Parts: sequence; structure tokens; C-alpha cells
Amino acid sequence: MLPKRHYVRANPEPAEDTLRTEMTDKTHEADVAFIKALAELLRENDLTELEVKRDYSEDDSLNVRVSRQMMAAAAPVQVAVPAAAAPVAAAAAPVAAAAPAAEAAADPASHPGAVTSPMVGTVYLAPEPGAASFISVGQQVSEGDTLLIVEAMKTMNHIPAPKSGTVKRILVEDGAAVEFGSPLAIIE
Amino acid sequence: MSDWPEGYGKRILEEVDSTLDEAARIAPELAGPEWILAKRQTKGRGRRGRDWKDPKGNFAAALVLRPSEAPNVVALRSFVAALAVADACEALTGQSARISLKWPNDVLLNGGKLSGILLESAGQGAGVTHLAVGIGVNLIETPMKEWLEPGAVWPVSLLSETGVQVTPEGFLTELAAAYARYELQFTTYGFEPIRKAWLARAAKLGEVITARTASSETEGTFETVDEEGNLVLNSAKGRITIPAADIFF
Repeated sequence: MLPKRHYVRANPEPAEDTLRTEMTDKTHEADVAFIKALAELLRENDLTELEVKRDYSEDDSLNVRVSRQMMAAAAPVQVAVPAAAAPVAAAAAPVAAAAPAAEAAADPASHPGAVTSPMVGTVYLAPEPGAASFISVGQQVSEGDTLLIVEAMKTMNHIPAPKSGTVKRILVEDGAAVEFGSPLAIIE
Repeated sequence: MSDWPEGYGKRILEEVDSTLDEAARIAPELAGPEWILAKRQTKGRGRRGRDWKDPKGNFAAALVLRPSEAPNVVALRSFVAALAVADACEALTGQSARISLKWPNDVLLNGGKLSGILLESAGQGAGVTHLAVGIGVNLIETPMKEWLEPGAVWPVSLLSETGVQVTPEGFLTELAAAYARYELQFTTYGFEPIRKAWLARAAKLGEVITARTASSETEGTFETVDEEGNLVLNSAKGRITIPAADIFF
């Protein structure tokens, strides 16, 4: 599964030497604000990673890469039980402090594109152990495509995509226990 | 010999990939419940992609239903199907004391695995589009032991344990009749009578068993099956209800 990456390259006009001297004190503050803005951008657009390079001059540049952990298949996450206790999308390094803590409060179950579990059971992301997952983040799915399986009592219930769209998030881990109403994935 | 149950269709195939796959293919066009019997399966499936081997003469069939209940209720047909297989075996062999059930739906004969049942449904929210109940029974032959998973219940066949030889078609008639009785009971009175009948034949009730899932293993005393069909174990961590697991004795 490839993470969704967006690269931005900003190349402002090289600053005048005189201006540069005056700006030195403020550089740190400005950089922090810039990184915070990037983190916000990351969250708002539901991206996994954002990398920006700002060239101030030939030998002076700022490289920023902000990323966050999506609730991907591989991520070792606890399933929300009950649904109201939202799983936490961990803000990952390198800019953990700047990453939005607000993410934790968002309840995926109330997301309009959320696909929830119709039953208590165990989730399987692939048709059988070792096989490719039914879906991955970023993948296009058609209405009715199997997204995953929830098993209870040897009944394998295939969960179909309620509509066509893109898999934005996978909220459960393979083999996880889910409750009725637990958010499983987000399709938009 | 029982009569074929009213309202149930039947089709017999010489060969099919898997009766469960065939069930999914024909489900949209069906007006009522339908049994699919395959003389030979080329890709029989067990739980989580395990191969289900059925040598010639063994029973491989699927019942296709289009139930209207919520998915968690639909799944309770696991127990309905296990009871039907047990009844069919009893009717054909005249032996009931040696047949027991392993949660949720394995049918054991003399403590060995006689039958495997796997259900597949598709649905979200209010209901399912269809339910396929796949049933395999070792009528004549047992799978070779190298196909077995470590710790799995030893396989047995109806012939080896009882000396009774039954054809797949003959077994289907008994099974379909028994299933229809339990299905009617289930849709009329709900899960409770099914649960009671299942518990009356439960293997290892009150004994220590192990429930294994992809991520954990729980050992405990097999207390009961609850109103939702969950396995209830009394473990060192207290009372645990388990909706899905492999059980080891």
C-alpha cells in the first residue's frame, strides 16, 4: 500500500542581504508558524504526508516533512469499543507537537462516508491469511465491492461498499474484534 | 426416508468449483431457498481459505437463502445447520448418543470431526443480500491426515464409524428435511429453542477448552452459548464471550 504523498516546492525570490539580517531573529518563529500551517493543511486534506522545501537563498533553505499515521491496515490500533470512543489517529514524528491533537476527537463513526460493522465479530481485511487485502487506502471501489469480512460463528459476512468512491481510511486491523456499529472504513 | 421439504429447490451438479461460489452466483435469480449438491468440488473451501477436501462419495452442498433478518441474526443459522446435520446423521444411522456438536457448528461422531459448515453472507446495515450455508460431510472417506492442522479434531467418516453407507443424494434428502424443520422453528420462535437443542448436544460443556483467534488464545470452562450465539468461557480473566474463534479441546 502506497501512502498518499503530496510534494510542494516553494521557491520565493531570494531575499536581499539586508533584509536577511533583520529577519534572522524572526526566522525561528516564522518557521514554527509555517510548520504548524503545514500540519493543519495535512489534517484538513486528509493527507498522509506533506513535504515542502523553501529555498531562501543558495545555501539557506528550509526542508519540512510532516506526516501522520493513518489508520491503515498495518497500523497496530485498538478498535473503538463502543463506537463513541474514537480510535486515535496518532500524530507521528517529526512534527508531533505541531500535528493537530484535534484529530483524536473526531469520531469516524459519525463521518458521512463511514462504513460500520453490522454485527459483533472478527474483522478480516483479506479473503484468507496471506492473501492481498480487499482494499487499500487511496483505492477506487465500486458500489457492492467487498471491503472486508466480519465473521461471527463461522458466518463470513462480506461488507460491501455502500457507494462507489475512494477508500480514505481503513479503521480496523486484520483480526480485530469489532462491535455493532464500529467504524470499519471511510469511503468518499 | 424423509420427503423432500416443500418450498425448497434442489439442483445437482456433476462438478463445481465450490458450492459456496455457485450459491453466490445463483442467489440473485432465486425466488426461494435452494439446495446445491455437487458430486465433485474442485475448490472446496473451509474457514479462512483452508482447503476442504471431499473425496468422491462424500457430501458437499450449499443451501442458498435470502433471509430478511439483520446480519447478526442471519449468522445464527450456523447452529440451525449443525442441528440439521446431526439430525440427518441420526435418522440415517439410528445412533444419536455418539453425535455431538462443537461450537459453533462442527458435527462430531465418536468425538471425531464428521462435518464442516461454513456460512457466507453479504450485507451491511439492515440486511444481507443472500446467505449461503456450505456443508461438507465425510460420508465415505476421511481426509488424509497430512491435510489436517495441528491440534485439529481427528476426522472420521459416517461409514468408518457406523458401517452405514449413504449416497450424497440420500443424505441431502434427510438433511433438507431436517433443516426445513429447524428453519421453521427458528423463524417462528427465534433462537432460544435452537440454542437449547444445540446445548443438549454440545461437546465439552462444563469442561476446559481453548478458543483461538488470529490475535489471541483464551482457555476457560465452556459455560454456555448465550442468546446471541457467542461462546461463553469462564477464564482466569473472568467471564468472556467470544463471537468468532477456532475451538480446541
